[in-house]
Amino acid sequence: MQRRLFLVGSLAAATASHMGGFRMARAQGRPGELVWADNLPGGLDPHVIFDVPMQFYMLNIYDQLYKYEGNPPELKPWLASGHTVSPDGRTWTFNLRDAKFHDGSPVTAEDVVYSFRRMLATKRGPSAAFLPVLPPEKVKAVDAKTVQFELDYAYQPFLSAMPLVCIMNPRLLKANEKDGDWGQPWLASNAAGSGPYMLDAASYKPAEALDMKRYESHFMGWTHNPRPIDIVRCRDIQETTTRVNALLRGDIDATDSYLPTDQVERVLRAKNVRVIKDETMRVMVIRMNNKKPPFDNVNFRRAMSHAFNYRGFISGVLKDYAVRNAGPIPQNLWGAPKDLKPYEYNLDLAREELAQAKAQGAPIDREIEIHIQQQLAQTTQAAQVLQQDLRKLNVNLKIAPNLWPNLVSSTAKPETTPDMWVHWVSTYFVDPENWIGQMYDSQFHGTWKASSWYKNAKVDQLLREARSSSDQAKRQALYEEASRIVVADAADIWIYNTVQIRGISARVEGYKFSPVGSGAEFRYMSLAS
Amino acid sequence: MGRFILRRMLFVVPSLLGLLVLTFVMLRVLPNDPSAALAGENATPAQIAAVRTAYGFDQPIWKQFAVYLKQVVHADLGTSIVTGRPVVADIALRLPATIELTFCALLFASAMGIPIGTLAAVWHNSVFDHAMRIVTVGGLAIAAFWFAIILQLVFSMSLDWLPLRGRISVGMPEPAPVTRLLLVDSLLAGRLGVFRDALLHLVMPALTLSLGGLASIARFTRAGVLDTLQKDFVGYAEAAGYRRSRIIWVYVLRNSVVAATTQIGLLFGALISSAVAVESIFDWPGIGSYAVKAILTSDYKAILAVTLVVGVIYAIVNIVVDIVHALLDPRVAESL
Repeated sequence: MQRRLFLVGSLAAATASHMGGFRMARAQGRPGELVWADNLPGGLDPHVIFDVPMQFYMLNIYDQLYKYEGNPPELKPWLASGHTVSPDGRTWTFNLRDAKFHDGSPVTAEDVVYSFRRMLATKRGPSAAFLPVLPPEKVKAVDAKTVQFELDYAYQPFLSAMPLVCIMNPRLLKANEKDGDWGQPWLASNAAGSGPYMLDAASYKPAEALDMKRYESHFMGWTHNPRPIDIVRCRDIQETTTRVNALLRGDIDATDSYLPTDQVERVLRAKNVRVIKDETMRVMVIRMNNKKPPFDNVNFRRAMSHAFNYRGFISGVLKDYAVRNAGPIPQNLWGAPKDLKPYEYNLDLAREELAQAKAQGAPIDREIEIHIQQQLAQTTQAAQVLQQDLRKLNVNLKIAPNLWPNLVSSTAKPETTPDMWVHWVSTYFVDPENWIGQMYDSQFHGTWKASSWYKNAKVDQLLREARSSSDQAKRQALYEEASRIVVADAADIWIYNTVQIRGISARVEGYKFSPVGSGAEFRYMSLAS
Repeated sequence: MGRFILRRMLFVVPSLLGLLVLTFVMLRVLPNDPSAALAGENATPAQIAAVRTAYGFDQPIWKQFAVYLKQVVHADLGTSIVTGRPVVADIALRLPATIELTFCALLFASAMGIPIGTLAAVWHNSVFDHAMRIVTVGGLAIAAFWFAIILQLVFSMSLDWLPLRGRISVGMPEPAPVTRLLLVDSLLAGRLGVFRDALLHLVMPALTLSLGGLASIARFTRAGVLDTLQKDFVGYAEAAGYRRSRIIWVYVLRNSVVAATTQIGLLFGALISSAVAVESIFDWPGIGSYAVKAILTSDYKAILAVTLVVGVIYAIVNIVVDIVHALLDPRVAESL
């Protein structure tokens, strides 16, 4: 349906632009107010909801001990002035800066302890990154300004995951707590943060609207931005065509950052708006269920890897708004070997591999199924590109429409995991662990990220070593070695690293992109008059 | 009449119960486990299992249904697994928008459809009648989303007469919520600026939504009027020297719109469910776009609630249609 809409939309748009173009006289939004039309998070509790839009909400309403800035993202001390870690890599100590919550009360070490315990207690959202290593009682306040974490074992990505945890005001939450629920129902439509912007709770309508006001007493101050924006109105717009029309018309200042390529042309042609392109860290991958024959055969998997028309897809469908990615780690992140050769599209090589697989008794004649995510047109397009070429190899590929929640639950067991499925791995935290670590270490089997059911004792060992080492150079070497093995084993088909494309009004200044939060950090922005 | 209404309302209970059982079973029989969605994107299998136990998804389905039914009886539709808010609160925010849109669409469809249908019957087989047939068949066949986008491009993008999307301009303070129908609340608060703004936002979505309804109302009215025109009383009235316009617009129409009334009633329910596409394109914050989001995220409590709410609306509308029937045609009232 959505795809049909895009088609009709762009057709109609093309007709209309030939009818004499759009009138663009209207002023963008209200003076001094920014209208931001990116997707809103599912709910407002960042300890419970952990989706991509939540990252932009967290960055503006809350503060974290550490935070990512820039592209490639750099980890910077934020609420914490710095940290120390014991030689065994298990005890982490953070010192706090002076900061105030939106109600004026100071941010103390006890508040940080409360926030971590609350996050762990929800057992949802970002807690997955901490539950295996951090028991709630091992988070302690040493004094009013010092917090200590004692991990069960050395876990280096701990610091990279710090920006996932929002520090909350316990006084507000406790006042709204019922039967030990940690104030969850209340926080679903309210905020308890200290971030550069404050939520106007009365304006919040789920999946529709949310307004923010600038917090003048934010601990970082506002000296970096002489003309900060006082009011930001976030509006969720469902249809891409409507979103782009609203931008062209001046109703909104920014679209989401996943503009489809056919809409990019429209924005490029229009006045008073521009297109912002940034390479992010989000890898598109076609998963293969390594436990289901014929996918348990490495030659068959290599045949599949040679049968995907990478250039055709990236140039033809995505108009080159994407970067070929050879392995599981985004090519702009450390740990991805610079000399790693990607699989090339070559049907002759694919035929050779298929013949070998057949000789080894792999059931290559059975119909195989690829599951796509119905509401994401690109997953269908990728499946169709593969289907077309597999037909030439006499491999019958059936495309099965599905939805994200179903796919996630189906990946709990190898029998229910589809032969193949298409998805992206976005930046949850900036560490190779987020990609190769959780995708190919067999201890994560049963999660969607590890849904290829790949198992290689050597890779397991490399990844475990990399996770616990505190020596960055050593970690890099370990991840590079693991990447080479996984790619040689053709565990999955890695396609590209995403270029995020956002349509933005020309009056918005100071936009800074980072893969975490996709550039929606309002404290840097100002509006040209 | 009172007894009739009571009897009709008693019939509603088992139909709604049936609807709930059906939806619940369909949602839970599908290979669709909400625990994974609930646990979040980075959850471990252990976390997912913990969520499954915490929410009772590991219980037998009849037990889960019993728990749910008990909640529903207490007017509690549960907590959305996506927004984390009570489903009732989310629906209370969105249902009035859909009702307002549907009501206006229906009003427009009736105001246009009934006169067009009547004229087509009076001048049947004329050029007007044929033209109307083409237009109404077209109206039924035309894709709402195509029509909606064309309206947006012409009236919003090119001419700049009407707002593109939403229910109210961004940044315009909303009137105090009384009925949550913006048109009504803005008048109650005496804020004509908001009323005008809300009305302008309504035009294109209501027009798009009314399209299918207009066509079928016109066709039913035409058939009804054509039928009534053959009746003896029409000849009698003509012989008695009544003006032709009075005969048609008063006597004939009143005897003919019964069929159209049923149609309008059914349309109200149908339009609410078909508002999905229209709401998506115009970004109308109603229950249709809410349902789409709920389905995409497997938010089963929200899906159940939307089904139940639409079911209740259907039931209420059916009862109202029966009452209106009785008022329009005393013979119906006697037979009740």
